Order: sequence, then structure tokens, then C-alpha cells
Amino acid sequence: MRRRLSLWIFVLPGLLLYAVLFVYPALAGLFYSFTDWDGLSPSFRMTGWKNYSTVLHSLVFQKALLNNLKFMAAVVFAQTLLSLALALLLAGNKRSYVPLRALFFFPAILSTVSVGLIWSFVYDPGIGLLQGLFNLLGATGLAPNWIGDRRIAIYSVAAVQVWAHTGQMMIVFIAGLQGIPQELKDAAAIDGGGRWRIFRSVTWPLLAPSATIVIAYTTIQSFKAFDLIFTMTDGGPNNATEIITTYIYHLAFSSYAFGEASAGSALFLVLLAALTWLQFKALRADRISY
Amino acid sequence: MRTYKYRPVLWAAVMAVLLLTAACGGNNASSGEANNTSPAASAPASAERAETAKPEEEVTLSFLHWRGEDVPAFTEIIGKFQTEYPHIKVEMQTLPSDQYQTAALAKIAGGDAGDVFASFPGAQFEAVAKAGLYTDLSAEPYVPNFNEALIEAGVKEGKRLAIPYQLVYNDPIYNVNIFDKLGLTPPDDWKGFLALCATLKENGLIPIAFAGADIGPGQFMNTMVMNNLPSDDAFTKVEAGEAKLTDEWWVKTLSQIKELNDKGYFQPNALGTKDAAAGALFIQEKAAILASGSYQLAQNKAQNPELEQKLLAPITVEAGQAKYEGIHTSTFLLGISSKSKHPEEAKAFLEFLSRPEIAGQYANATGQNVTVKDVEYTTPELQTATEWAGKKTLFQPRFTITNGENQKAVTNSIQAVLGGASPEDAAKEAQAVVDQSLAK
Repeated sequence: MRRRLSLWIFVLPGLLLYAVLFVYPALAGLFYSFTDWDGLSPSFRMTGWKNYSTVLHSLVFQKALLNNLKFMAAVVFAQTLLSLALALLLAGNKRSYVPLRALFFFPAILSTVSVGLIWSFVYDPGIGLLQGLFNLLGATGLAPNWIGDRRIAIYSVAAVQVWAHTGQMMIVFIAGLQGIPQELKDAAAIDGGGRWRIFRSVTWPLLAPSATIVIAYTTIQSFKAFDLIFTMTDGGPNNATEIITTYIYHLAFSSYAFGEASAGSALFLVLLAALTWLQFKALRADRISY
Repeated sequence: MRTYKYRPVLWAAVMAVLLLTAACGGNNASSGEANNTSPAASAPASAERAETAKPEEEVTLSFLHWRGEDVPAFTEIIGKFQTEYPHIKVEMQTLPSDQYQTAALAKIAGGDAGDVFASFPGAQFEAVAKAGLYTDLSAEPYVPNFNEALIEAGVKEGKRLAIPYQLVYNDPIYNVNIFDKLGLTPPDDWKGFLALCATLKENGLIPIAFAGADIGPGQFMNTMVMNNLPSDDAFTKVEAGEAKLTDEWWVKTLSQIKELNDKGYFQPNALGTKDAAAGALFIQEKAAILASGSYQLAQNKAQNPELEQKLLAPITVEAGQAKYEGIHTSTFLLGISSKSKHPEEAKAFLEFLSRPEIAGQYANATGQNVTVKDVEYTTPELQTATEWAGKKTLFQPRFTITNGENQKAVTNSIQAVLGGASPEDAAKEAQAVVDQSLAK
């Protein structure tokens, strides 16, 4: 018993940090979601579930949720596919692969705000790099309005997110690929399996744990994307790129509705938890074994 | 062993509950305190504290604002102030304007900083006033140093809570050389404005550089709506549910903005252009008009010294019907925190800033006009804006919208028409958001 207590001392610093930096803010946020606190006034009133109802009925929240789903779908699909493709190409032990892996990983070490600012200029319809490319090809008028057209703006930002994080996910896939015993692939090849068949029946099922990590991480990351949208479009034009995190931010810091923003955050937490749980269920990562 | 299985979870839960209880306890205490610290109640109490303090006692004032670019100018001014008041030390802290909404206001609310602090007009001023964080300055003897017509933005319910220090004319800037070369003058009606844009376009120029992705809609809407407004408080009425954005005046404004876009008088894909890129088009003299405001004059000149600039506001009605010639905004609202332990010293600092020679020093060093009377401006850019002092200008209508969501709905409706929506649909969509705010 005494030994167990002394073990607790080792856990305590981490537990304390977790309680102060995560548990307390989360519970405090939950508490404020039932108030009409404006973020500045020292006093507030309890409002029950009103903030939740207001947020759920808000036209902007509904638009933000839809945008979030579009953004997530685009990022998860493109990022998983691209990172897998890159991993399959660069998983071997050739010397030339090392700098290439580093090159593809490079955007992940840039701060998202820098990435957002760089790409804002790349997308600019007047002085942007992409517009320059269209001008060079003699197709000036054909260049899309990347972040100004409400129909494509969210996908343009999603493309930047993919650009920035594909290399990071590629590393996860490479680690997974390098963990697959070569004998299994050799045996499948001896049995007459082609490259596609070996990938479909041997490599992909054994990559499931990596795929779970990549998809779960990408989903959560794309749902939480804030800084990129904040620096590139701030939710515009006309809320076309407003996602839940920017909606919460605008509620709290432009409209001083901290109570509603907290309710939005609580709903966001539930949504993320449900999504992650569903993903783990769907991918059945725990069932994979050699 | 099984007995201990849930112990870590229990420990975590107990700690969380303890922390939450402590936090809620803290809030209750401050709530109680707040009920007794309305600005009116706190001002005399603070004054009493200051009276009992010895005048020579060393005092440190915190001065909080968002204009990092003004730090050198303020540092010099603070140096002069400290020479005059050797017992007062002013510590200046700046935070970028986006963080100002979050970090600075929390510091002021917590009483940690901001004996003297700046705030934005509109939604932020309202929120700070509602939280009781301003000291009442109504009776201060230095208030008459300011131009009364320009400092209304700091008044709430008859009390002067803050004093706007900077004066901005939110009227588009035009390139004087281009206008002279083409024999153009600022028109005084809508027909004339369209003709002017057509001439500029025919001459291979972008008539108006418009930052549709960020500041453009919020800036340009002001001059576009000023003469369409049925009354100066039309947006206030919209927020009170007494008028609607679907009313003729806002739909007309949206139609006129759409007309400019449809006729190609903004640069192509204006909705994807940000402030810096739109500015670059004007600075490089590819665009003849920049839809921003006087605050950008000095910056433009610094980047292209050849540039000669003046302000012009599009008149959206017939010549005889125009009520206003342009828009002004008095911003950088200086206030004294109701939580300040040194309100008298803070007032001394405000009085110092209100002196014409000090305000002039600030203006000439930063390129910003000020609301203080009898200031001598030395740069051509500041003098350009000063020409507007004699004109009939309206306080920026956008800032009369005090709810952030409503303000965004209004600027979003401009982005919607630029994106192809009809003015009626865009107005309806914006009104739906306002209706939701009203229903809260």
C-alpha cells in the first residue's frame, strides 16, 4: 500500500498539469456554456440550455458545420491518398529517398500562420503565383478566384492543409510499411499475386493501424483547423469558409458572446468524440493481427 | 488488486471537482464585487484613494494599446510626460489588434494592466462600457481640447467614458496625377462617378482597387451608404428591429456596389484580393482609386514617394440630394480603467496627450490625424486629410452596428453580391442573421 502511494508522487506532476491545463478549462467552459457571460463583465446570469438552442439554430453555425464536413472530407480523402502514394513510392531504403522524404515533410515544420500567409499571396488574383502561371499560359481570364469564389474557397484552403500535412502523414505510413514482413509479400508473389493484388490483400490490411492513425488524426486536425482559415479568409467570403472553430472565435471575440461560444465548444467536443469513436469502430484497427 | 482499479480515475475526478469549486467560488466573489463597482460608484472611490496618496509617491501607470507602429512616437511623448511628472512612470504595452480583443481586454477586466487603455469604437466600446470598465470622464477639464463633433463615439447614455484620439477619413483615396492627366475631377453624383470609372477603365486602368477578401466591404460600405441612409441611425434601428436590411436603402446600396463590380470597375476577382494586394495595385499606379481610407495615405507615400493622393467619396445620389460629402471615424478611444489604482495620475496622462503640441507631435510622427483641436500638421498627407475637416462628414455607419454578428452579416451581404447573389437575396440573408440576434 505504501509503495503504491509513493508511486502516485511520480504521476502527480503530470496529473496536476493535465488538471490545470485541460480538465479545469474544459469544465469551466462547460460551466460558462450555461451562462450569458460576455467575456468581460464580472457578473453573469445562468441561462440553462438557451445557448445550446441558440447555437444549434444559428444559420451561421449550420453553415459552419456543413463547411467543416466539406473541409474534412476533402482533406481526409486527399491527404490520406497522397500520403499513402508518397509512402509507397518512398518506403524503400534507397539513399535518394531520404532527402525526398525530408523535402515532403518540410511544410509540416512551418507554422500554420506562415503557411496561410504564403498561400494567401500564392492565391491572390492580382499578384499571386498561380495567377502568374495562368498569365504565362495566356489564360489570364480562366484563373479561378481561389479564395474569393464561395463555391471553391473551402477546397482551396483544404488544398493548403493537404500541402502542409501530407508529408507528416507519409512518415506514419512509411513506418507502417516498414513494419510489414517482406516474407508475406514474397509468399503472395510466389502464389501469383500481382502488385495491385498484393497491395489490396496483404499490404493494405496490415497497414490498417497506420491508416487508422492517419485518418483519425487527419479528421481531428481538419475539424480543428483554425489558424489556416483565420489567416487566409477569416471565414469569408460570406461565411463560405467559416468552420466551427472560427465561428466559436467570432462569437467570443467579435460578438462578446462567451456563453454561446462555450456552448459551441461543448457541442464541438461531443462531435469530435463521436467522430473519433465511429472511426475506430469502422476501421476495426484492434482486429488486425499477423 | 481490483480494489485499486478505479482509484486513478477517482483521484482525477476529485481534483477536477475541487478545482471547479475553487474557480466558481472565485467567480462568485468577483460577481459580488462587480455589483458595487459600476463606473459611477468606483470613480469617487478611486478619487478618494488618489487624494489620500502623497503627490510625490512613485506611481507606475500601465498604458495598453494595439498600435505597435506608434511605439517610437509614444515613447518620446512618455519621456516628456515623465520629465514633467517625475513621480509617474508610464509603462507602455502593445498587443496586435486581433489579440487585443482577447488578451488585452482580459487584462483590463482583471485589473492587471491598462490604467490608461485604448479601445475600438462600436462593439468593443459597448462591451467594455457594459462591463463597467471605463471611468466617467464627463467632468474632465481637458475634454474641450478635443473637437466635440469628432469624439461622440466615446459617449454612452450621456456619459463620456472614453475619448477618441485618432481621426480617420474612411473615404477612398485617388491618384491625383492620373486624374489630372485624364482631366478628371471628383464627381458630385452617381452618374458622374460611373462616368469617371468608365473613363479610367477605357484608359487601361483599374478604376477601383478593392480588398474584397478582408477590409474592402467594411470600408467601402460607409461612403456607399451614407447618402442612401433614411436617417443617420438607420443601422441602430435595424438592430432594434425597427428597420430592416431588406429595406430599399440597403438593397439600393448593394445594387450600386454590384453595378460597380459587374461593370468591371473593381479589379478582376476582387473578392479574392486582400488589403496588401489592393494597396499594391494603387501604389504601383495600376489602379486610380483605392477603396480604403486616410489611414493608408502615409503608408502609400512611403512606398511610392511620387504618389500624389487625395480623398474622394462616391456620391450615390443626385447632386442636390447628397447629405454628406464623406465619412469620418474617430477611433483609438482612450479611457481610464475603473479598476485603476491611480486614476488621478492616469487623468494627468490623458490631459498631457490632449495638449495640441503633444497631439501634433504624435500626429506628425505617426501620419495619423487626431481629434485634438488646433494641431499643426506638417506632412502633405496629413494636410490632405485636414482639408476634410471643413466638409460635412458622417461618423462611420458600420460602427453604429454594435453587435459583431450583425456587423459581419452586413459586410457579408456585400461579399454575397460580389459573388453573384442578387441584392435582394443578399439583403434577405443578412436580415435573417439580424432576426436571429433579435430573437435572443
